[in-house]
Amino acid sequence: MRQLKDGIFSLNGRELALLAACALAIIVFSVASPYFGTPGNAATILRNSVELLLIGLGMTLLLAMGGIDVSVGIVMGLAAIGVGRALGANTDPVLTALAGPIIGALLGFVTAAVVVLGRIPAIVGTLGLLGIYRTAIFILLGGQWLSGLPTGLTVLLGTSLLGVPIAAFVIVLAYIAVWVALRRTPFGLHLLAIGNSEEKARLSGIPVIKVRFATFIISGALAGLAATFYVASYRNVEMTIGSTLALDAIAAVVLGGTSILGGKCSLVGTVLGVLLLRILQNGLLLMGVPSLWQPVVTGGLLIGVLSVEVLSARLPMSQLGWARR
Amino acid sequence: MFKKIGRALTVSAFSLLIAGAAGAQEKPKVAFVPQLIGIPYFNAMEAGGNKAAKELGVDFIYSGPVDTNPVDQLQIVQSLIDQGVGAISVSVLDASSIAPVVKAAEAKGIKLFTSDSDAPESGRAVYVAQATDEGLGSTIIDELVKRVGEDAKIGIVSGEATASNLNAWIGFMQKQASAKYPKLQLLEPQYAGGTAQRAAQISTDLMAANPDLKAIIAVASTTCPGVAQAIETAGKIGSVIGTGYCSPNTARSYIKSGAFGFSVLWDPAQLGYLTVWAGKQLIDGKKFEAENKVPGFNQAVTYDAQKGILLLGPPAVFTAENVDKFDF
Amino acid sequence: MNRVRTLQSPALVLSLLSLLWVIVIVGLFALKPSVLSVGTITTVLQFSTILALVSLGQGMVILAGGAGIDLSVGGTVSLSAVLGMLAVKAGLSPFFLPFVCIGAGTALGAFNGVLVTKLRILPLIATLGTFFVYSGVALSLTGGSAQSGVPDWLLWWGRGVLAGIPVPFLTIAIPAFAIAGVVLAWTSWGRWVYAMGFNERSARLVGIPVDRTRLILYSLSGTLAGAAALFSLAWLGSGRPNIGQNLELESLTAAMLGGIAVLGGRGGVGGVFAAVILLVTLKTGLLQLNVNTVWQVGIVGALLILVLLADRFSESWR
Repeated sequence: MRQLKDGIFSLNGRELALLAACALAIIVFSVASPYFGTPGNAATILRNSVELLLIGLGMTLLLAMGGIDVSVGIVMGLAAIGVGRALGANTDPVLTALAGPIIGALLGFVTAAVVVLGRIPAIVGTLGLLGIYRTAIFILLGGQWLSGLPTGLTVLLGTSLLGVPIAAFVIVLAYIAVWVALRRTPFGLHLLAIGNSEEKARLSGIPVIKVRFATFIISGALAGLAATFYVASYRNVEMTIGSTLALDAIAAVVLGGTSILGGKCSLVGTVLGVLLLRILQNGLLLMGVPSLWQPVVTGGLLIGVLSVEVLSARLPMSQLGWARR
Repeated sequence: MFKKIGRALTVSAFSLLIAGAAGAQEKPKVAFVPQLIGIPYFNAMEAGGNKAAKELGVDFIYSGPVDTNPVDQLQIVQSLIDQGVGAISVSVLDASSIAPVVKAAEAKGIKLFTSDSDAPESGRAVYVAQATDEGLGSTIIDELVKRVGEDAKIGIVSGEATASNLNAWIGFMQKQASAKYPKLQLLEPQYAGGTAQRAAQISTDLMAANPDLKAIIAVASTTCPGVAQAIETAGKIGSVIGTGYCSPNTARSYIKSGAFGFSVLWDPAQLGYLTVWAGKQLIDGKKFEAENKVPGFNQAVTYDAQKGILLLGPPAVFTAENVDKFDF
Repeated sequence: MNRVRTLQSPALVLSLLSLLWVIVIVGLFALKPSVLSVGTITTVLQFSTILALVSLGQGMVILAGGAGIDLSVGGTVSLSAVLGMLAVKAGLSPFFLPFVCIGAGTALGAFNGVLVTKLRILPLIATLGTFFVYSGVALSLTGGSAQSGVPDWLLWWGRGVLAGIPVPFLTIAIPAFAIAGVVLAWTSWGRWVYAMGFNERSARLVGIPVDRTRLILYSLSGTLAGAAALFSLAWLGSGRPNIGQNLELESLTAAMLGGIAVLGGRGGVGGVFAAVILLVTLKTGLLQLNVNTVWQVGIVGALLILVLLADRFSESWR
């Protein structure tokens, strides 16, 4: 039942470690740079985390189910084209905002059809789709970016409800909704059961195909939601959009303690993983470390955290069932 | 089953092939290989090249990589050489790695030249330049100093760290700053890759790290929207001026909002036109004069025989006053 | 023994790839007869070399199972090339350049192997981490600029063509595939690789040194990436810090297309070779016909999905 230890109030070891790491990073950077610990900079870090938080949420579900999607950044790009076009045509703002998640969900359906019905391993199937979606982006944009779009969606970021930006509300709502779905509905149990063993899940009568379809669709919709925020904040859709997001999201989610083997996930961990990455990227730049080192930090952190966890588990005092395989 | 798939593939392949092969006639062929396709800048060059092809009676081939990957670019150039086109111009991604294809082109008697981004020591036939690298670097610094004064701190956000033409411009910016404006402080360049999102993230971080920052230069056209957006979102319009090498269409809304003070660029369509014209000259075996009359150009195009550079002219500066007069 | 050999060359995938290859060639020929020349063959092989070497390493790592994958191959190529040139710049005799490149690649691959076998970090994650680190370090060390100073004798090797076949392809890519093919099919070590990919638990039970074998395979993947880096230096004449860009996805595509089962234990290097040649021929052919390059990524993606679907459905109908 370890997989259900997913609570918001009971943090597990990894989550505590990440929380401590975040706190430590904040303290170090605040001491090192006078500009780090300002409300403005905190807002910057949060604003720059929006897309990764949403895509990471979808990726958490996929990994927990034993799936993966390397095309998810490009899905965001395709959805962003839809949102951008709607915005450019001055469509009703609500419809424009919804265009993102709707297109994302549709593409998630396509991904699921290929991976689930075609019974192709998710990593290979989504790799193939990545190529196809990229061609689609090129053709849809036709060499012209959507730039200088109207400000119709800026409400999403600018306007605040009780002092909190709407984007923050939406993200928190998304996380709560997924948390409830995971912990309080059969969908969550089924998803984790499939992640533990698809074969056993099938034998015990779980509608495996339906659950897998639903998860891919949810992940696509979340990527589409990220697209809405992307267009709202950058008012620009360029052809390279989203190209690095999938790998970043996988790194952040795994950092957060979700296993790519499935059956285990941590939403709090995902949030902390994304924030820790963004805090480090922001803080190091503030200290004058060139941005070229940022991927090194991401990779080093990933390897470092996992190595420390494995090594510390080997110490005699903590040998409590660390049978990973 | 396989027959079916095979048939489907054959059919789709053939339809593609036919689409691609249509329109091949026996006119001289001039090809242009950009650094990256699907961005407005090179699209405008393609349009200019097409116009020139129609007017000068040549076939124009435009083909480039989908990622800024020099090996992919090399493969495209190589395939054009194998096809036996008359002249190939390349906007080189990396000056040092073009050498193998220069030799191959020579062996087949194909004129290989550079356009938009140069490889000076590769043995190319000519370099069709939009402006000198030096002119581009110093113009943007001079224009910025007019607006923010000599005593200012300026950030630089570039695209790929490996793009040799962008790095050359940055080098001349730094040179101009240290030679002419000793008080001007240029920060180390930061690299955002190709996405607006990364450019925006890095720009906001730069502004946070340097509250006294007066300006940010977006070196790659792909970074312009991100830099501008970061300035708008951070509420720094008025205190930080954005600028960069971006087309009026990309920069228009940012120049109007005040996030961008100005933008420096040439007309890429004209550069495309000049490229095809130069290719035709090379195929015809005509030499470039010190001053060349090119159809459709108001001014003569100068040629520097020593460096082998055909120069489009000084770069244009787009501001709120004149930006609406341009459409590219 | 027999069983292993049939496992190694799933006739289906090979014949499918060959069929596709013939279709591409015939299609090309029908539309543009001038394409079929020695020059085109040279071009295809020249641009296959890096992908072929890297895909061979990738394929063997996947073949050995245990969720094996090497996402860091591109970063390894970039970093090995950069380290080699930096060493020369620091005063090392250029004579040692090949050893530095291949040695660096091997060391970087071995580090992946240690992460996977000793620390038991899942390969996808371990090599995702090293992908970020290797490619990032290659860029940071050089600030993005290409490193020149490759000695002439190396260029002579890298750009040489013998009877229409590029010398590097002849001297490293073909021998690498030949050796790998022979070792996998006819030695006990090769059978271990298949056995551990097929069923790791029973492989351990019968006493196969699974971890050691796997460590060697990851190191070998690094060695091959280092060899690819060396070739890139000898061919382009400079060390480029992003020479390995996109190779992780391309090599994965080639390995999968070549019939290596993603869970390991099934497939062979012949299929990988065929897939690499098919991919590069397809790309070259589309370029020769001046088909817009935006179609390339989509066509390769569709091809990958179609071949896997064909494989899957033929399996369930057999």
